[in-house]
Amino acid sequence: MSHRESDFDCPQLSDAGAYVLGALEENELAHYREHMDGCAQCRAEVAELQSVVDELPMSVPPESAPAALRARILANVRSEAELLNAAGHTADEPVKSARPWYRRNDFVLGVGAAATAGLAALIAVLIAVGSSSHGKVTVIPGQGMGAARTADVSLKQGNGRAELVVAHMPPPGLGRIYEVWLVHETGAPRPTNSLFSVTSGGSGEVDVPNGLHGVKEVLVTSEPEGGSQHPTRPPVIAVPLTAS
Amino acid sequence: MLMALLRRSSVNSKDKLRKLADEELMELVAGNDADAFEIVLERHEDAAFALAYRICGKRSVAEDIAQESFLAVWRSGARYDRKRGSVRTWTLGIVHNRAVDALRRNSVHERRRLSDEGIEETLEAPERTELQAVENATSREIRGALGELPSEQRRVIELAYFGGFTHMEIASMLGTPVGTVKGRMRLGLQKLRSQLQGWEALST
Repeated sequence: MSHRESDFDCPQLSDAGAYVLGALEENELAHYREHMDGCAQCRAEVAELQSVVDELPMSVPPESAPAALRARILANVRSEAELLNAAGHTADEPVKSARPWYRRNDFVLGVGAAATAGLAALIAVLIAVGSSSHGKVTVIPGQGMGAARTADVSLKQGNGRAELVVAHMPPPGLGRIYEVWLVHETGAPRPTNSLFSVTSGGSGEVDVPNGLHGVKEVLVTSEPEGGSQHPTRPPVIAVPLTAS
Repeated sequence: MLMALLRRSSVNSKDKLRKLADEELMELVAGNDADAFEIVLERHEDAAFALAYRICGKRSVAEDIAQESFLAVWRSGARYDRKRGSVRTWTLGIVHNRAVDALRRNSVHERRRLSDEGIEETLEAPERTELQAVENATSREIRGALGELPSEQRRVIELAYFGGFTHMEIASMLGTPVGTVKGRMRLGLQKLRSQLQGWEALST
């Protein structure tokens, strides 16, 4: 096809190639998108060239994905499917919390946890913290998803306790709070007493109260204030662990 | 409807799922069907890994990118819209975006080195010959079409798409006026398009 510029060609057609290749500068990108809204010629050119760019991955020399990759991905997917399916048909409905009012806005493990079912666990954690306060702390990176995909997530584990630390995290929404879930090798994912919100700067932290023995993944969902017994929304944070 | 029946069935055997098209599998993935997702993963993991590896030049980084991308596919399966392209294109688009984001966290110097070495490194992979034998015709066509482009057009396309460079970075790297780089990108893509269309017409 020969390249032709007639008097009627939009001068910004020259940006179309760089646009579909993702090579426009940030400031140009916003302008070009705005321009395309009102320019059918540019929209058509971009659609044509995009179809070529969509084929470029096929030009890459073939490689076999490592077998461990599939296993790792599927382990995450299956535990998340379990969590979502555990929510069942009520997944879209807010769950009335069975937890007491004083647990709201818990940032760290508090009295509320003990007041529900976690007294024994609390004592165990406190004993562990007291007895090994100089142990090694491991930092495990997590991943933000969906609205929280730009969040920085890490789980600090050591000295018999674990703490989830987040930054650049969006707020959980009006009347909602973030809740931590623990996924074990078997059985349905378990809700925890760990509820947290974030500061206006997007940072927050929460203790994961039940310890992480046998836990293969820590997940976070946004729930109605007071927390839920079953997740009502998809996870926004996932921290994969090597189950101990 | 087929999808409704499949969704109601408690167990979808893998064999049954394998007979479904990607787009049908994605309907099940949107309903949190991990088995359906596994088939999608099986079909596209090699292409996803190869693309990430071509862009990043490191197997460990490519693995991380492929993993993040497939988890994104799983988690946002409900947002897949078949009107906007195939599952493969959508998935590889996610891989490309993430790989380029990862690349852009490196210095320009490091990115240029990776971009220059990309092809040579993959040529050294031991399984290359075997893989090349099963490579499909489309891949050969695309590579052939790229190979036939004037080198200055191919270079700017590769630097942008696989190197993650902006047109201004490319212009300063090659000592070429900014407008020229944009022009070469567009011309090169137009040529590729007509070449691929020509082959498509011949093969039908």
